[in-house]
Amino acid sequence: MEITRRNFIQLLAGGAAGIHITPVPWKMMDDIAIWTQNWPWVPVPERGRFDHERSVCSLCPGGCGIEVRKVADRAVKIEGREDFPVNNGGICPLGAGGLQLLYDETIRFTSPMKRVGPRGEGRFLPVSWSEAVGTLAERIQALRKDNRPEALAAVDGSRPGTASEGLVKRLLQAVGSPNCYSMPSIQNTYQTANLLMQGNAGPMAYDIENADFVLSFGCALIEGWGAPARVIGAWGRWREDSKAKGPKVVQVESRASNTASKSDAWIAARPGTEAALALGMAHVMISENLVDRSFLFNYTHGYEDWIDEEERPRKGFKTMVLESYSPDKVAGITGVAADRIIALAREFGKAGAPLALYGKGKGNLNGSLLECMAVQALNALKGGVNTPGGAVVQQGLPLAPWPDVETDPVARQGLYGGRLGTAGDSRLPFAESSIENMVEAVMQGGGASPVDTLLVFGANPVFTLPDGGAFRKALTRIPLIVSFSPYRDETAAMADLILPDHTALEKREEIVWPTGLQYPFLGLSKPVVRPVYDTRHMGDTVIAVAKKVGGPVADAFPWRRFEDALKARLKGLAEARGLTSWDGSKPVWKTFAEGRPVSPDYDSFDDLWKKLDSGGFWYEPTHDFHDLSTCFGTPSGKFEFACGRLEQAVKEAARGGDAKTLLHRMGIEARGDDAYMPHYETVLSADAGGDTLVLVPYEMFNHSTDWLPNPPFLTKTIFDNQLRRDESFAEVNPETAAGHHLKEGDRILIQSDAGEVKVRVHLFEGAMPGHIYLPLGFGHTAYGVYQKDKGVNAAKLVAGKKDPLTGRTVWWATSVRVKKT
Amino acid sequence: MSAKQGKHKYGMVINLDKCTGCGTCTVACAAENNLSVIKDETDKQRTISWMQLFKVTNGKPFPDTEVSYFPRPCMHCHYHTPCVSVCPPTATEIDYNTGIVSQIYTRCIGCRYCQAACPYQARYFNWWDGHFPKGTERYLSPEVSVRMRGVVEKCSFCHHRLMRAKTQAYAEGRRELKDGEYITACTEACPAGAIAFGDLNDPNSEVAGLSKHPHAFRLLERLGTEPKVYYISSKDWVRRMADNYRPDEFQPL
Repeated sequence: MEITRRNFIQLLAGGAAGIHITPVPWKMMDDIAIWTQNWPWVPVPERGRFDHERSVCSLCPGGCGIEVRKVADRAVKIEGREDFPVNNGGICPLGAGGLQLLYDETIRFTSPMKRVGPRGEGRFLPVSWSEAVGTLAERIQALRKDNRPEALAAVDGSRPGTASEGLVKRLLQAVGSPNCYSMPSIQNTYQTANLLMQGNAGPMAYDIENADFVLSFGCALIEGWGAPARVIGAWGRWREDSKAKGPKVVQVESRASNTASKSDAWIAARPGTEAALALGMAHVMISENLVDRSFLFNYTHGYEDWIDEEERPRKGFKTMVLESYSPDKVAGITGVAADRIIALAREFGKAGAPLALYGKGKGNLNGSLLECMAVQALNALKGGVNTPGGAVVQQGLPLAPWPDVETDPVARQGLYGGRLGTAGDSRLPFAESSIENMVEAVMQGGGASPVDTLLVFGANPVFTLPDGGAFRKALTRIPLIVSFSPYRDETAAMADLILPDHTALEKREEIVWPTGLQYPFLGLSKPVVRPVYDTRHMGDTVIAVAKKVGGPVADAFPWRRFEDALKARLKGLAEARGLTSWDGSKPVWKTFAEGRPVSPDYDSFDDLWKKLDSGGFWYEPTHDFHDLSTCFGTPSGKFEFACGRLEQAVKEAARGGDAKTLLHRMGIEARGDDAYMPHYETVLSADAGGDTLVLVPYEMFNHSTDWLPNPPFLTKTIFDNQLRRDESFAEVNPETAAGHHLKEGDRILIQSDAGEVKVRVHLFEGAMPGHIYLPLGFGHTAYGVYQKDKGVNAAKLVAGKKDPLTGRTVWWATSVRVKKT
Repeated sequence: MSAKQGKHKYGMVINLDKCTGCGTCTVACAAENNLSVIKDETDKQRTISWMQLFKVTNGKPFPDTEVSYFPRPCMHCHYHTPCVSVCPPTATEIDYNTGIVSQIYTRCIGCRYCQAACPYQARYFNWWDGHFPKGTERYLSPEVSVRMRGVVEKCSFCHHRLMRAKTQAYAEGRRELKDGEYITACTEACPAGAIAFGDLNDPNSEVAGLSKHPHAFRLLERLGTEPKVYYISSKDWVRRMADNYRPDEFQPL
């Protein structure tokens, strides 16, 4: 047939009409849709035998019991254990999302690695374990040969009191380096405060459940402080609709956080002025006689004016507070109205078992020592020290010590004279180790870095240290960086050698005394799955390195594996009177307050180990509350408002010279006797006002802000006015925003002395006027697509004073300027 | 207005006074039900979260501001269930013997009519195949099917946990479940114990008691869909958030 214009159009029209009648194309489209839906990239979970493993979560110091559901040896779900005294079935978002930290290959090191690309880029090639361990051991041998063992340094994020921490310290000691730095955490603050006021560096033990008035100075009580599931569990019980109502909870914080909102009352004090508020309350309590006079008279030192050994009259806490912290004056410092302070003090003073808690957010970072002491002074005024419902004086777990390290002359020389920076010396007598000072020492001078080899364990200081990026700069000057991180984090990206540790669910690890818990507790995790990749327990690696170094370093490690070293420590528990099971009939905090003695449910160490392995915990549910005359280890043998140890340290350091200059270098501006008592020091160097705002970084419970990566599941809980696409949001009070001509969603530049970041504005009435709030935990430059370049890291803006006495960073208030972009 | 009465009527009561807004329910749900993670989970128009957390504030100026949270699962509406009534291929159904509104992925044609009908925005559409970062397919649970592109999904009240509890009970020679034997993953995980779950038909169950609490309410109750998720809050401003009230219409207790 001839193709004409007419029949061509007819064909097209007929086709167009016909295609609507025949079902073929529709059927085909449907079939294609179904067919593509079944393409094999939708995974089909493998079936198999169901199993349950009981263990303990070691992602945070909270020590929650977990039960891991397994199918065909794959871990498929983490749930809270109901037979566990700490969390009693509850769990936290990080714990619940923990499997993404185990199986996500994109964020993990799958074997030992060495760096191939430039530092920070994160390109690595696999090496064998023997090569990796050999490289490090040879380097250490060389340093010792050169007589400079102190050039080996370590940054250790392991939690205080664990065998892992002990092994790292031991390695450095045996090699001959005093330069072992722990990551800042609230536990350091607690221990130092306890050392100064109670005379022992034991853990802070708050008997929250038995208190009838809880006053929290900055603790993110329901957002991850302490042992999160313990506190939130108690919170839930307090809000139970029954006659047995819980304590009144008052939160002191500058922002309407969840804790502040859900508390019975919220006191909005300016960040960094909490100590003044506590002392202002003390003023009211003392002048209205709402104090426990019998406790103050019998068991404290330095409350009333006193006469020292040299017969000089000294000012007491009472006089200092009455002189310097009147409610009106404190109102001016804190921004809390005087009548509010008076009412709060009266409520606290009249309560039966009031408890003042000190904290800074979740407690992943350091707190302020003087604030902590001022808050503890409130407890002492009410006699709430070592009483049920108060702050309990605890000595730490009865762990057995390891044999002493036999050092050789090289090591002794390094240990004696090789200390970097000034931590532990006259300027910072109560800072056991201060990373800030290591960074300073590395950056000083034009010559070679005093640190040759840096080991990093369980920490990501490049990201988490609120130091305005100083640590990362210091790393560029260190010749060899060895990371033991299982994760491809920012610090590991700077490392030359990776000796990856197991992740939480693959390893044996203890939880030594969950933060803030009132009774002695040890949790022991066990590997619930076989190691997914070619990783090794960091304790095993440390032992292997020491063996390879040989000589006295190898001799310092008389164990084959980490587990042997751990068992040697836990032997101490076998001699104590603890329990390894909990029947759930009565919460431990109840039996704890009753104080009835228990008989241990194990008869030998082997028995204890077996029970620890299957149950995962050990605890002592009783406490002797009657030993107030013996429990304080201070120079006076009493609870000290005037801290003898502090005065002694300053006197020794000044060596007869001027204590004033020395105190100034420690960061203390108070003069005379005030300097040795809990008092208030200003946080911000320049008065905020005018164009500047005060930046307050805040931690979130539903996002990992620590060294661990964030499981992507948790991002589902983040609101899009906190993080949207790649942009962080800063919370600003609408009134402040109006003053700066800012609207919701505006893009701004926040500038501090340390740097600048671009964020967007979220107007929030709960933000304190004149302040700007930025969430921590965003702004990674490492890991995979779920975290890299998402938002900004508030820690990089922190630039401020150092906390008096401890030298740690004051990260809770930084002056910043804000510019619209 | 009355809905069909079946044997059981599973429901949930969430105490907002206890709820701390921590998000554990959301994460536990995602882990239990093989939820996928998209590349940008901050894109709240694309992310899937069966148990979604909503933050509300009382709007008062500083320092009287307060925040609170609404965890929002599927409400499993018992009367004239909006999604069930519109679904063309009967991919979503309500079982009056349990009260659970189900979603059958293989039947779903992806028309998203249910999504439009749902007053609670509890339904999510898979624009793409579920994504699991490399290696994480290993934690997927065989109890819950992984969804493919082009289907709608939502909270199932952890239906597979009902099956699991029933199997256990049958193995022990029982035909009836005890209160608390079947609970959802969010209920189990909540560290504050803010979520209660059980049979609303059983007068002795915890939820039956709590749902009659004077502070108990439901979201958009006046639509008459009889949601089986109750909330409790002692705060007027929080209860007021539950519905669209005209000025002066809300009656504080």
